[in-house]
Amino acid sequence: MHREFRIRALVKFLFWAVATTVVVAYAINTYRSGQMVRWYYYESKADGYAVNATSFQQATRESPVALIIGDFPDVSGLRAVRVTKGSRLPEGTNGVIDLATVKKADRVRIEDGRLVVAVPWEIKEAKGFKFRDGFTHKNIRTNPFSGLWNLVMVGLVGLCLGFLAEGFTDVIGLKFRKIDHSVGH
Amino acid sequence: MFEFLIAGVQAPWVLLVFTGFTVGIVGGFIGVGGGYMVTPALIVFGFPGYMASGIDMTHIAGKGIVSTVRHRQLGNVDWILALSMVAGTMFGVEEGIRLLGYFKRLGLSTAALLGASVLLMGTLFVYTLRETLRSHRRLTEMAKQGRALAREVSTSSLPRVFQGLPLAPLVRCRVARVIVSMWVIVLVGVVTGVLAGFLGVGGGFIRVPALVYIVGASTHIAVGTDLVEIVFSGAYGCLRHSIEGNVDFVAVLFMLSGAMFGAQFGSIATAFVRGPAIRYMLAFSLALATLGAGLPLVNLLMGGKLEWLTALSVIITLGQMVFLCLFILSLVYFAYRANRGRWVPDWAAPLLVHHVTTGP
Repeated sequence: MHREFRIRALVKFLFWAVATTVVVAYAINTYRSGQMVRWYYYESKADGYAVNATSFQQATRESPVALIIGDFPDVSGLRAVRVTKGSRLPEGTNGVIDLATVKKADRVRIEDGRLVVAVPWEIKEAKGFKFRDGFTHKNIRTNPFSGLWNLVMVGLVGLCLGFLAEGFTDVIGLKFRKIDHSVGH
Repeated sequence: MFEFLIAGVQAPWVLLVFTGFTVGIVGGFIGVGGGYMVTPALIVFGFPGYMASGIDMTHIAGKGIVSTVRHRQLGNVDWILALSMVAGTMFGVEEGIRLLGYFKRLGLSTAALLGASVLLMGTLFVYTLRETLRSHRRLTEMAKQGRALAREVSTSSLPRVFQGLPLAPLVRCRVARVIVSMWVIVLVGVVTGVLAGFLGVGGGFIRVPALVYIVGASTHIAVGTDLVEIVFSGAYGCLRHSIEGNVDFVAVLFMLSGAMFGAQFGSIATAFVRGPAIRYMLAFSLALATLGAGLPLVNLLMGGKLEWLTALSVIITLGQMVFLCLFILSLVYFAYRANRGRWVPDWAAPLLVHHVTTGP
């Protein structure tokens, strides 16, 4: 009986260990190959300029940063690509500055055919906590499939980790009894 | 530091794992998602507010599954009760979000949110603590009289009132050993869902006391069953946030790797204690959460002149994770000592259970 239990526990543990490894390795590979990022920065939600907002974080009103506007395959560095609503985003994009913001010419303006950024972020508040809110993630639409992918993956990871832990405690000989829920008054 | 390409920030991955671990312990033990602690922590680590909410909600779904698997093994999940509540909870969450939108249009959202949080959590804290203290005294008396101690002792008369409502159909929850009107369960789901949606939290805080004091489930079953609800609401939140672009899955993975150990520990720790011990922990976390919402409210009512109160509330919100974990760890340590016949404090002895595991 004892030996039979141990063998079953070991099989259970090994099965879930393999399943966990496969699921986590697949998730990491999806991330490292850039697929996860491409799903995330998928298409533009507004007419505007696709940018890499990280590249001009240091800009200020006193020393603004100018981005070259052009039809580039990627927007790494100080580049901006004109996009329309629904169009696929170039590689390296992490935000879209919409035309309304550019027309306002307060934070961003067009100057000599270049996109000049003067206020790259503002302080905002969520749940009573302040944070820097820049152009990153603005006006971008994720691939709807990635929402489903996230949900399925988090479910799989949760299940695998849960049963892996249960298998582990079984292997080391800790079999938890079901609790007797008797109530006293 | 790790560069999160989707979130667009560099953040310390070790702290993400640690946060997942600590919130996993607390969540597995008292049956809450822990969103009220995680979102502020992620903002402090540098994630933008909307990303913090999305990452938090997605990690809660995964952690909920990890905890539910263990609570199922411990016999703490009443599936009939959980599944009867799901639809009501979802409906309630949507209505709560609409209610929040209404207050936003009136320009009252922050004050309404903080005021409602303080009032609700403060009331729950007072009721839970008073009832738990009475139950603790009852346990101590029973121990002195040499009587066998039940896993659960409750002194609240509210469940009898709700179980006595003759509204068909009646539902028999075998695991929870409760027969109660379906309408009571649905109503609990809707009301706790509205509050959760309005306050922007998972709702475990409100649902666990509601399951204990209205439906009449034991604390352990309330925790396990609530975690099933959290899986559903977390999954829904994960999908919504993911489509909105608020989720960096790699950050979720880091948090889940810590939560795996934390949620296991927290869930298993429930096997070492009686119901009132869990309710104490729930009461303490309610007290700290009330304080966390109350201080910014005072600052708001004073016209923003007391900014330091908001800073203090950040410290309390983040500090409570560590405090609650240490408390849970100490209870398990005392149970271990009691199991070996060693000295444990008088107050702790009636709250502990011995011999919870068995070999093959």
